[in-house]
Amino acid sequence: MTEYLETTADKFTFRVAVDRFYTQEGVWALRLQPEFPSRVRVGITDFLQQRSGDVAFLSVKATGTRLQAGDELAEMETVKVNLSLHSPVGGTIVEVNKALEPSPEIVNQAPYGEGWLAVIETTSWEQDRARLVDAPAYMAVMKSEVAKEVEAR
Amino acid sequence: MTGEGTEVVVIPCSGIGKPYGTVARESAYDLCDDLRPGATRLVALAKLVLGEQEARERVRSCPVVTIDGCKLMCASRLVTHSGGQVTHEVAVLDVYRRHKELKPEGIEVLNDEGRKLARVLAEEVAVAVDEIRRSGAPSGAGHA
Repeated sequence: MTEYLETTADKFTFRVAVDRFYTQEGVWALRLQPEFPSRVRVGITDFLQQRSGDVAFLSVKATGTRLQAGDELAEMETVKVNLSLHSPVGGTIVEVNKALEPSPEIVNQAPYGEGWLAVIETTSWEQDRARLVDAPAYMAVMKSEVAKEVEAR
Repeated sequence: MTGEGTEVVVIPCSGIGKPYGTVARESAYDLCDDLRPGATRLVALAKLVLGEQEARERVRSCPVVTIDGCKLMCASRLVTHSGGQVTHEVAVLDVYRRHKELKPEGIEVLNDEGRKLARVLAEEVAVAVDEIRRSGAPSGAGHA
């Protein structure tokens, strides 16, 4: 069962799953080991989904698309913003979450679970991993973002 | 509580600051002022927030349609909190997902797409209102 770090700011509670790695923008990568050690499942963080608001539409690049780390993986339109989401790893998309098309709201409901975006067959996991941060480090990034938003009010 | 003479209470989102709340209200005005005047009565959500007696009695005694702007579903929740029952609830986002070309923008004044989305929503709710008045519940009652 996934464990989470948690923090509360104002009326909002944000969770960070401890079993995966993160980009600073809030995209996570979960290695699918032991079954598929070269594959990672990717999705967005609880913080990013709460900050962005209800998802109206989500378009993930198609299966078979080759990506470099940092390339656009998906476009997301929410009630507040249009976002480009970038791949945390390089490789080839081998699976896209089909449930997102009829029900993009699952990204809001279960960002670390059923609301995943895609599975990527990585080409350079160790190299990409070095550019990602772990859960405590992402928590610090997130707290800093929250503090900026509170200060801006 | 139903029949051709039944008045259906319509309660839209009262949220300000986002286009989806504005779409909810504009669609309620279209519905109550233009599409189904006489069959519907618009009740401001703020009256339920304040606990106004007349508004509370209305939602307790009439079928109620709520039009919410976001997932907080304030209109639906306040009807229940006030002792009423929601006969039919609609979320603007769900209707927008079916009409991607109608992206609402603007808060005080909606763009053309937002106005059209409000109209589409109002027309859908008008059908639900007719069914409520005819049979007591719209087919597929619940989330639109």
